[in-house]
Amino acid sequence: MKLRLFLAAALSCALVAGGASCRRAPRADESGKIRVGIVFDIGGKDDRSFNAAAYEGVKCAETGRKPDGTPCDKPTLGIMLRDVEPGNPTSIEPAMRAFAERGYDLIIGVGFAQAPIMELVAKDYPDINFAIVDGASQLPNVASLVFKEHEGSYLVGMIAAKESKTGVLGFIGGMDIGLIHRFATGYEEGAKAARPDARVIVNYVGVTDSAWNNPGKGKELALSQIGKGADVIFTAAGNSGLGAFDAVEQAGKDASGRANRFVIGVDSNQNGVKPGFVLTSMVKRVDNAVYQIVSDVVKGQFKGGFHVYGLDADGVAYSMDDFNRSLISPDAIRQAEEARQKIIAGEIKVTDAMTK
Amino acid sequence: MGDIINIGLFFSAIRLATPLLLAALGGMFSERAGVINIALEGLMLAGAFTAAAVTWYAGSPWVGLLSAIVAGAAIAGIHAVACIRYKADQVVSGTAINILLTGVPALLSGAFFLSSGSTPQIPKENLIAWTPIFIAFALVPLTYYALYYTPFGLRLRAVGENPEAADAAGVSVRAMRYTGVLLSGALAGIGGAYLSIGQSSLFTRNMSAGRGFIALAALIFGKWRPVQTMLACLLFGFTEAVAIQLQGVPIGGAEIPNQFIQIIPYVLTIVVLAGFIGTSRAPRALGIPYQKEK
Repeated sequence: MKLRLFLAAALSCALVAGGASCRRAPRADESGKIRVGIVFDIGGKDDRSFNAAAYEGVKCAETGRKPDGTPCDKPTLGIMLRDVEPGNPTSIEPAMRAFAERGYDLIIGVGFAQAPIMELVAKDYPDINFAIVDGASQLPNVASLVFKEHEGSYLVGMIAAKESKTGVLGFIGGMDIGLIHRFATGYEEGAKAARPDARVIVNYVGVTDSAWNNPGKGKELALSQIGKGADVIFTAAGNSGLGAFDAVEQAGKDASGRANRFVIGVDSNQNGVKPGFVLTSMVKRVDNAVYQIVSDVVKGQFKGGFHVYGLDADGVAYSMDDFNRSLISPDAIRQAEEARQKIIAGEIKVTDAMTK
Repeated sequence: MGDIINIGLFFSAIRLATPLLLAALGGMFSERAGVINIALEGLMLAGAFTAAAVTWYAGSPWVGLLSAIVAGAAIAGIHAVACIRYKADQVVSGTAINILLTGVPALLSGAFFLSSGSTPQIPKENLIAWTPIFIAFALVPLTYYALYYTPFGLRLRAVGENPEAADAAGVSVRAMRYTGVLLSGALAGIGGAYLSIGQSSLFTRNMSAGRGFIALAALIFGKWRPVQTMLACLLFGFTEAVAIQLQGVPIGGAEIPNQFIQIIPYVLTIVVLAGFIGTSRAPRALGIPYQKEK
């Protein structure tokens, strides 16, 4: 009922007043807190991956603690946080408008699919700050938080090729879209740089948004890649990627206790999801980017336009921790570190599939 | 070609067909009794979530599987009461259940696991990779026998074809329809359990990804008959398995665009439905609530 009332309100100001009456200056609520609304992607905030990272960022800003209760390395910003997990793509726009209508100070959209929707909403509320993760907008009140996924993928591609016995690598993308192609091409280039004869099998779960939530299919794809000889599989497929984790676990470990097949996690650090089977994770610090934009708003320094996170500021990176330190040879690490420096210095150019 | 056709493909097809077959056989009991069951998708989600959540707590996939059966039947019970007792529109009731089940697991996972739509991952030892497959394929001859060679099957088919006549002959239309719908929930629940604690190791929101609807298509495709329905499910499973194997494999030097590969199962369905199997006749009283004459 609330939603219906709200929709009616949103519609009436959009239609009747041409949006003018709906414009309100950003304001803090009674307690003086900055109000932040976040709309997650279809994957939901506990996909242990992309959305989870965004949630961690805003949660740190709100409470100084991660969703699991451990302290963040960043101070709390004392904001008031509300989040929405849309059940289907059509509920994204009403959710954003709900925040805007109530005069939130910052509205964050998570995922490329929300970019066109945010474009519409942000136009109607030019005085409210918006931020879109993984999407692009030209509006002055929208900050586009984008990542150089191809660069991080290049490094994990190198590590994968170095650690592969067969020289065959797998890649499982979620939805077959430009953003995910960026992971795939970077991974392939990195693999070939470390090992020219490496072969990468590239598969996608699907072409609709259900591709992010289909672990069964993800597992079948991984098993098929394993059948074709792949022994390191990089996933960029949200919840579907977890199926690949099951597939490599099923392949077991050899006599020395080393896994026969490995998986590489994505977005969040997934090394601990199946310890011993996860070679590394291509972490995309969505948490940092989201925290940063909240901090900008709190300090009154919000800037629209592109905020690009690459290897240099650890916007993307490969994760090393106690789970995977013994899985990767020092030689592979050394080579990846060298490449990292060269990419930052501009000596290695990794193809960006989205601008190709 | 050897890259595509191999023994792995065969097993992959069986695994992909299993959840479809379980849901489709479930749907058969409901629809043969005259109640449209478009809720298979939601029933699978109910089974998938319950199986994963209970297995996590109980540490036993068997308890999980059993709970999935109960949960599927319980949700199907809502559909049954709405359609049989209150003579609601069966498509509307089924759709409502599908929508309900996109939300309920998210809500419950929030309460139990402080998560919003998924369960923790279940350790490998607690997964049942093969049992649901055996159940699914063993059910085909059983269903066949039950439908065509037992009084139960005769009555079930009678209330779906001509409930007035069945009623006149002393068969309780209501009881048969309740039985059919509850059975459909139980079987779809097993199908869902296979998704969460068989094929993968956790529940994630909407993880059925349309399989309930594909099962429904297989049921119609198979003309509401057990063996034909199984073949239809196998065909869907097989084409999906081929689609998986085809991805990223160059044929004659050129790679087939992924979008084309992904539509193979659906195009095949349309082609087969339109051209080869002839008319598919639904149970005559399907979708019509039964009103006993006073």
